[in-house]
Amino acid sequence: MLSRHAEDLYWLGRYIERAEDTARMLDVTYHNLLESPSTDETRAWKELLEVLFLDAAYPGPLEGRDVSSYLVTERSNQGSIISAVARARDNARGLRDGISTELWEAINVFYLELARADFEIDIERRAYEIFSSIRSRCQLISGVAAQTMPRDEGYRFMLLGWMLERAEMTCRLLAVRYARLAGEEAEMGFHTWASVLKSVSAYEAYLKAHDASLNPTKVLEFLLLSQEFPRSVLYCLQLVERLLERLAESPQQTRVERAIGRVRARAEFCDISVIVNEGLDQFLEELQKEIYDVSEEVEEHFFRAGTDLQLHSYRWA
Amino acid sequence: MRLEIRYLNEFAYSQPAWESHNLLRACPAANDHQRVLSYRVDVTPTTPIHSYTDYWGTRVDEFGILEPHDNLRISAESVVENGPPHEPSENPPNESLAPLAGELSSYLRPSPHAVWDDLIHETAREVIEESDGVVEAVTRICDAVTASLKYETGATYVGMGVADVLSQGKGVCQDFAHLGIAMYRSVGIPARYVSGYLYAADQTVAEAPDDPELDVQTHAWLEVFVPGHGWWALDPTNPQPIGELHVKIGHGRDYEDVMPLRGVYHGGAEHDLGVHVSITRERLAQGTDQ
Amino acid sequence: MSVRGNRGGLCQYTPPMGIFDEVHGPSGVRPHYRQLMDRLDTIGDADLADRFGLIESIFRTLGITFAVPGHESGIDRTWPMDLVPRVIPADEWRHIEAGLIQRVTVLNRFLDDLYVGSQEAINDGIVPRWLIESADGYVREAHGIPAPGGSRCVVSGIDIVRDEEGTYRVLEDNLRIPSGISYVLENRVAMTRVLPVGFARHSIRPVDHYGASLLRALQAIAPPPVVDPTVVVLTPGVANSAYFEHSFLARQMGVELAEGRDLLVDDRHVYLRTTRGLKRVDVIYRRVEDEFLDPVVFRQDSLLGVPGLHGAARAGTVAIANAIGNGAADDKGVYPFVPALIEYYLGEKPILPNVTTYLPWEPDQLELILGRLDQLVVKPVAEAGGYGIVIGTGADEATLAATAKALRANPRGYIAQEVVQLSTHPTFVDGQLQPRHVDFRPFVLSGDGIEVVPGGLTRVALKEGSLIVNSSQGGGSKDTWVLEDGLEDAVTTR
Repeated sequence: MLSRHAEDLYWLGRYIERAEDTARMLDVTYHNLLESPSTDETRAWKELLEVLFLDAAYPGPLEGRDVSSYLVTERSNQGSIISAVARARDNARGLRDGISTELWEAINVFYLELARADFEIDIERRAYEIFSSIRSRCQLISGVAAQTMPRDEGYRFMLLGWMLERAEMTCRLLAVRYARLAGEEAEMGFHTWASVLKSVSAYEAYLKAHDASLNPTKVLEFLLLSQEFPRSVLYCLQLVERLLERLAESPQQTRVERAIGRVRARAEFCDISVIVNEGLDQFLEELQKEIYDVSEEVEEHFFRAGTDLQLHSYRWA
Repeated sequence: MRLEIRYLNEFAYSQPAWESHNLLRACPAANDHQRVLSYRVDVTPTTPIHSYTDYWGTRVDEFGILEPHDNLRISAESVVENGPPHEPSENPPNESLAPLAGELSSYLRPSPHAVWDDLIHETAREVIEESDGVVEAVTRICDAVTASLKYETGATYVGMGVADVLSQGKGVCQDFAHLGIAMYRSVGIPARYVSGYLYAADQTVAEAPDDPELDVQTHAWLEVFVPGHGWWALDPTNPQPIGELHVKIGHGRDYEDVMPLRGVYHGGAEHDLGVHVSITRERLAQGTDQ
Repeated sequence: MSVRGNRGGLCQYTPPMGIFDEVHGPSGVRPHYRQLMDRLDTIGDADLADRFGLIESIFRTLGITFAVPGHESGIDRTWPMDLVPRVIPADEWRHIEAGLIQRVTVLNRFLDDLYVGSQEAINDGIVPRWLIESADGYVREAHGIPAPGGSRCVVSGIDIVRDEEGTYRVLEDNLRIPSGISYVLENRVAMTRVLPVGFARHSIRPVDHYGASLLRALQAIAPPPVVDPTVVVLTPGVANSAYFEHSFLARQMGVELAEGRDLLVDDRHVYLRTTRGLKRVDVIYRRVEDEFLDPVVFRQDSLLGVPGLHGAARAGTVAIANAIGNGAADDKGVYPFVPALIEYYLGEKPILPNVTTYLPWEPDQLELILGRLDQLVVKPVAEAGGYGIVIGTGADEATLAATAKALRANPRGYIAQEVVQLSTHPTFVDGQLQPRHVDFRPFVLSGDGIEVVPGGLTRVALKEGSLIVNSSQGGGSKDTWVLEDGLEDAVTTR
């Protein structure tokens, strides 16, 4: 298929996942503050922005309504949900014949809803509604894609983007939350770990697999290494590896395949208890970087830089 | 006079450029007073070069570099044997121009860089009315152009209309040429743009240099059609008639048709900023005499 | 004259005097329309109105819209198709077809002669050299670019009108990027749903093979050694008002739809960037204009083209349809010379005549034109879409004065023609059948031989009395039914 289409589908997957993760984390942060009023609000919002790499850029006060606005409807923020969905929509529009009509409509409707002039983030009154509506829309898109797209190259690229984004996000979330909490072992209470699990919709799944005591090591292990839970880092990496194998052009292992193999193996064969004792934050930092490297390799390998529109012309007398 | 000309253009990009496509027009023309003894193009990074002759009769060297590169070096070396062109021997009357309008229409109509307004038209018309015959009219219009512009770099930009150039009163050789062309065409004298090299230290004074080796820029002048004679070259940038110091590359309606180098590329950072290019230099060495 | 209808019927239909009406002749409904008119009569007003509404929803569902230039992108209008099709009997079609084949044959030859030949027609004075050299669409860089088989006009859209006497005449040649075939095909699809019974009762020649025919023509012009050529459609992208058609045709032909940035030229060969690496391309059906096609040679600011494409075309490694530089032949200033070119190249009289045209750059004709400005049509040679046309009979003093001034200042920029009262056709307007002026754009394919699509785009000026049919200016369209041979007998025996 056209490299440009593959790239558009890859980014479409990434953008929708990003939107969903952002909405979920906003939801959890907000409700966490509600349920434990003693939590430091400023710190909670700062941490959320940090997970999204937006803490430096954020210009406003660290308060619920402002941060939510910034993350949901602020167009000048390239990392906001509306920005992500707008880009996904642009890609979908350019793909027109490469995606099903239902998929296009699902994305288009989502965007139009967010773009409505009266879509207000009234956090105090409608947070649940808004965030859950955004999550539903993203899940709808994911479902429609899964149901209506043939399992061809295009679908694989979309899924590739989706999974890489998810792995990066989960890893990043753990890195930030854990690094924050690392020095305050005594305060790592139930609520904190519960909110980490809820940030990736893993709370109930965790309870099924383990119990309500929320042993931190087990939580980490679950979120990093579960091979059943679809939002765990390892699960995503394994899927990425399988997708790249299917997308491979030649039997020779390429740089990108080596990169994903490396990071997946690192995750798969790590000993959690050893890591927790010897330096979880460094482990998470490195894991993050390696996942990021895979993304770079994917982009370098499949989307060689020629499809950009940065064409310069010159003339000399 | 035998001249060795080296046209060199070097691009240094602050970030790698890739998929670069280029057209070079640097080869001297072959005509009745100019002989090209050798011509050679070298490009680094190495890449196949395809050459053809375009509609205007100019040699074009076409090449592309697809892989990422930090530098692009283009050098065109030629050896030319050059003599002075023939001047018109007669001075045909102004009326002899009219029948040519059909065949030479391309050189009579406005072209992107040569669009005249009423002022330009009037200026030229006054000159031609006072002149007796085409050669006299042509000479006097050329003088008028030389007088109406002061040679100054940086005062104009590519794409600036000749009317604006004239009102500003300053320009470089392309502006002198385009203004001249506009004037000639406005009164029905076919005129075309010429791109080439001038073996002189000062473009406004076309005199052979003392030092055989010289760094110059490419130069622009023009040719007009004189009935019964053919195309006659003149250089409005300097008051001297064209001699063997002028080496022609090619002609066209204006600059667009015979640009020495043009192209596109990806990456390489911003086009005007951050791109370091050494100024086009030519070294002309005076060889042993004719 | 009126159509008598039962059940309250279709209202009085009164074609204007002195104008050729497609349906109503001097002795009533023309034979090839009787069955259709009867059918419409039977359906009745209310039902017809419903079906008319159905058309809108069919097109919306099919996603057939078009963007009006100058309006914000994103505001697409559904394609306006009228309920009443135009019917062309077989013998008339034979005449049109022969005339089109003759004309396109000559236009191909002229362009080939101009760009790779010895310019015989120009040298022999059939067309003035300066006229060609001053044509906006004349591309000097096209000299030397080969066109296999001389098929430079792979797709031509020749605009035809019918004058007051019912004579078919060519109004305009469109040889660069003629568009509208997708609407022809979709009009047909809609028609079969809206008038299924009426449709079934006629033997109408199909048009749905267009994709296959176009592909065949494109494959036929592939550079010689290639056996199984790779064809792509080159589109400017989703922002282009005709994008729907680009995408539609690519799908119909089963070929890739590419933008300029999807293509790459390496050592004068063209490739498509795919996830499996670079794929060689042999033929490009380009819907990008000449000046945007290659920023190395043409407009440097174009992001729509493919750098190096001109070089590849010169080298003959890729075939471009339609060829670069066709604008030299469809310039309105060259149009008046086409009949002479037909005689020159083929030694034949033109089967389809031109509309009487006057040339403002001839001083005596200029005076004539200026003297009759209020009776003539003045058209800019460079504009498309019907813009800039001044119809003298309806223009006010100020407009006429401005036109005169423009003609004097730039005579080469215009032509003047007698106003042709285009034929009228019953059109469903405000719940009634009313006469509206129509023209006709058939499509001609030139690959290995010349093929004319049986049918075409009948365009209708929806405004009463208006002669401007272009969709960008409020025109509509009709499905066009070319009848199979022998139908006339069946009809007349009724």
